[in-house]
Amino acid sequence: MRKIANNPSLNLSQKLGLSQKQPSSSLLSRCLSRCLPLAVGAAYGLILLMTGLAFYGLIGFDQARLQPELLVDPYILQILGFSLEQSILSALFSVALALPIARALHFIPQLQASKPAFLSLCLLSFVMPTLVLITGLVTLLGRSGVITPLLPDDWNLYGLNGILIAHIYLNTPLAVRVLSQQMSHIPDSSWRLAQQLGLSRWQQFTHVEWPALKPSLLMLLGFIFVLCFNSFSVVLALGGGPGSTTLEVAIYQALKYDFNLSEALTLAWLQFTLAGLIFALIARMGKLNWLSADTASQRLQPRLSTLSEWIHQTLYGLAWVILLLPILALLPAVFDASIAKLNINSLISAAGYSLALGLIAALIAMTLAWLLLIPIRQASLKRQENRRIIYQWLATHSLVAPAMVLSAGLYILLLPRIDLDRWGMVWLILINSVLLLPFIIAQLKPRLLQFDQQYSRLSENLHLNFTQKIQVIWPFVRPITLGSFALALLLALGDVAVFSIFGDSHYTTLPWLIYGYAGSYRMAEAAVASLILLSLCALLVYLFERNTSAKNKRKSTHG
Amino acid sequence: MADTIKPASIIAPSGTISHKTTVHTLSQGLIVDQLKVVLDGYPLHYDLALAPYECLAIQGKSGVGKSTLLHTLAGFETAKSGQAFWQGQDLLALPAHKRPISMLFQEHNLFEHLSVLANLRLGFQSQPDIRLIQQAAEALDIADQLSKQPTELSGGQRQRIGLIRTLLRPEPLILLDEPFAELDQDTRRKAARWTADVARKNNKTLILVTHQDEDAELIADRTLQLKASAEQ
Amino acid sequence: MKTDLTRKNLTCRKVFIAIGLLFASLQVQAAKSELNIYTYDSFVSEWGPGPQLKNIFEAQCDCSLNFIAVEDGVSILNRARIEGKKTKADVLLGLDNALIETARQQALVQPHSIDVGHLSPSLNWQDDTFVPFDYGYFAFIYDSNKIKKPATSLAQLIHSDAQVIYQDPRTSTPGQGLMTWMKAVYGDQAASQWQTLASHTVTVTKGWWEAYSMFLEGGSDYVLSYTTSPAYHVIAEEKTHYKAALFDEGHVAQVEVAAISRYSDKKELANQFLAFLISPEAQSIIPVTNWMLPVIDNAELPAAFDQLIEPKTIGFSPEVLAEKRSAWLREWRQAASR
Repeated sequence: MRKIANNPSLNLSQKLGLSQKQPSSSLLSRCLSRCLPLAVGAAYGLILLMTGLAFYGLIGFDQARLQPELLVDPYILQILGFSLEQSILSALFSVALALPIARALHFIPQLQASKPAFLSLCLLSFVMPTLVLITGLVTLLGRSGVITPLLPDDWNLYGLNGILIAHIYLNTPLAVRVLSQQMSHIPDSSWRLAQQLGLSRWQQFTHVEWPALKPSLLMLLGFIFVLCFNSFSVVLALGGGPGSTTLEVAIYQALKYDFNLSEALTLAWLQFTLAGLIFALIARMGKLNWLSADTASQRLQPRLSTLSEWIHQTLYGLAWVILLLPILALLPAVFDASIAKLNINSLISAAGYSLALGLIAALIAMTLAWLLLIPIRQASLKRQENRRIIYQWLATHSLVAPAMVLSAGLYILLLPRIDLDRWGMVWLILINSVLLLPFIIAQLKPRLLQFDQQYSRLSENLHLNFTQKIQVIWPFVRPITLGSFALALLLALGDVAVFSIFGDSHYTTLPWLIYGYAGSYRMAEAAVASLILLSLCALLVYLFERNTSAKNKRKSTHG
Repeated sequence: MADTIKPASIIAPSGTISHKTTVHTLSQGLIVDQLKVVLDGYPLHYDLALAPYECLAIQGKSGVGKSTLLHTLAGFETAKSGQAFWQGQDLLALPAHKRPISMLFQEHNLFEHLSVLANLRLGFQSQPDIRLIQQAAEALDIADQLSKQPTELSGGQRQRIGLIRTLLRPEPLILLDEPFAELDQDTRRKAARWTADVARKNNKTLILVTHQDEDAELIADRTLQLKASAEQ
Repeated sequence: MKTDLTRKNLTCRKVFIAIGLLFASLQVQAAKSELNIYTYDSFVSEWGPGPQLKNIFEAQCDCSLNFIAVEDGVSILNRARIEGKKTKADVLLGLDNALIETARQQALVQPHSIDVGHLSPSLNWQDDTFVPFDYGYFAFIYDSNKIKKPATSLAQLIHSDAQVIYQDPRTSTPGQGLMTWMKAVYGDQAASQWQTLASHTVTVTKGWWEAYSMFLEGGSDYVLSYTTSPAYHVIAEEKTHYKAALFDEGHVAQVEVAAISRYSDKKELANQFLAFLISPEAQSIIPVTNWMLPVIDNAELPAAFDQLIEPKTIGFSPEVLAEKRSAWLREWRQAASR
């Protein structure tokens, strides 16, 4: 047996002056980690309660009831068929177009300089308020559109054409961003190995790229499908008639003029069930794969063949033009506006209110998202797949719950009980926050799960307390947190659907102002307001991208 | 395919521990009693005992369950049955972050998004003495790496950074999973001597998983051969 | 045209607040009674009639007018319906003839006690509960620079190949107006006419402004709006080339009305306000801010109003509208979606 060193001066913990007592900061930590389960419960309670109350609001008023007989009504079946058709096509086209663009961005060295700008433009396109996009599309492709003379004689923007174009415009950029990020996470070692093994370019695609992209592709298809299945403003504006209607629009129509709660309720359940099932199915199929983001460097990338490079580059160039066109199309109308007629004050205050409301909603959504993700992360660590999927579905169910039902149901429930003229804004913010959750969670989750996968054992072993855990995880998730916060804020800026029900005319937001202008024959002012809204979005995209990419650059030098 | 480790006292070279002291000191050290872990459907069995401040090397073929033992002790695998005591305290009843254990994993020992120095400061209840870290880094030839990011380091350099933190932390029980795998011959010896030295000075009890006999000789008081039960 | 369902609000109530503060400084606030009026957004927007009416009425009544604005006419009805007896409303302002019957059946309103004898005889108004404050005829608007020979009848328009934009009857007042118009002209034959119209319809929009703005950007030859739309272009923009097409079959009218809430405890003040709404003073403000026609004959209006087309009125009673609407809607959505 080895002799025991008794010299106390050599005892490290004493020499380091470590006290065995926890410092006071960890008292706080302990308190926080005790409160955390409560907070998680409260977060789940809140979001489920809101959906539950909304449905209760519809059911509780006037004895509304489900009408199963509606499910065989030919008109409803036709709506259902159209909803499915347009959303499947939109999802397929968006992802199919995004893949070559993401590959072009990744493999063609000449494009690296313009890559950050393009990705920013992608973000701007994804969050572009539909009101602005539709104006742009009509200017370009409407009956007297700039591009229309080049199109076939029987061209009509309204109907499936317009809906698909708008959905693809909004969602392809999202897919490009996600896929391009996934590509950059393929570690160098894979490419080295592939080349060492003498794999052909096609084999490299099937063995290296495809496995890295496949889970994201499935997730993207599901996500875009659900977004388009529940699409509202685009379908309302470009549908062109009762033939091209989605369920969400049909719910609105049932609620609005007929005040037919039973029909709205039946359609809502139909939509909720279908979108929910499809999304859950795809969420199960498209698991996230674990790619070590930080060990990946981009020193060694294979090139594309000359022809393939040419095709990819052309598509990329086209994407630039197509994404920019609807924005440029706003400009002529702006020059029509006489500055003297503009009410600068109401524009400024509307911009201010939009920002303030968006910021609060995004902050609440971000907090909720972190709390909601805790049980998902735990289930994932313990490899409890079913548990993870159930929590995940609960946390993001607002993606498939019809937004129209959520706001209308709560409105009907609350109006006789609460002074909504005073408290409406609180509910406006809350509902917006819940609607933002799926987007934030979709962004945060992979990164957090990756952290857990790589570091949860290390964190446990190091006995990190609550505050230390935060300090360790924050640098890892900072870029994606800021990025998803920006996304949430940008999406919140474009809200009109919830504002139309809970909004307070004292706090008119920019999109609302645009509707107001346009509703009073003031098209030029509406164009100016649209441009201001879009510039605000662009500014935010720029700020957040600069912030997050500065961090990335620092990191890539280490990679 | 079950593996068995015979009780340590039986395999231990005779004369190192007198029989009388064994019983007394073992209750102060680590006792692993009929521990059963099921990994991918295969049951693994462990039985061993360590005296306080003893250093034990575990050797054996790949896949025989060496790492699984360390992960179970540290709280990252769940035992099906059996017990593990440290100083008379039931280890398995504690969550991983409450066990008095500092472990070096085969990989992912550093947060890659934090600087090397920031990584070295983690795992202490209050700020560690920077001079001690500096001294250790000099002893292991990585003093000039402290201000870098982990991604800039080679595999061997990362291992040594992880090793320093694992040994300097206040936890009394140290688990090292192939700590020198990526080191060259000279560095390996240097690291092994440093490990043995620090463990001794700071009253650590240590389990080392290694493929190299030399590591075991330099650090361990005794060595266990872990075998699949079919071979016995 | 103000009850269009998609009209969004852009109210900046600073004007009201400023006026309110002015009055507060002159008088004791607590002594004043408040009159709550549910209306739609564009009525109280800074260029709507609301601010001016409030200003004048408050000077007369020693009270404070409190507008509570919702999205559109049907939202006023729905809100009053959901709130039931807890409603804050004293007056519902901005319902129209298509909603009158529902409001009555739901028992949301009570009879007024004002004299409506000076309303235009052409309105033939006999209701004891609802007071009309403006009205307008639905009409198709065209650009006379582009269309030299406009359609002279609904039939001619439907059987032409001119491109048309109209609004969804499920979500918009003009859309409902066209539906009524089709039924009044074609009766049981309406379905086949809808199908013919669908073959040269550019789009059916959710609301009035989407349709109208597309038309202004050159999106169609005709757009469904009101006979008063050209007056806006003349007065606000000095553009005279937008014209309403006069149809032989006659036009359907929309009458906008106000009524006292059944649960109001300020009947006297509410009656006073209703009387004010049909006074010459208010009636000269409403047409040039809400872009509709006055309900009295002697209102002072700009010359542009004299040039508007004067169509023959056709249509149905509020009772028939309320009863038949669902069936008509089903007929339309089946016919037009093919």
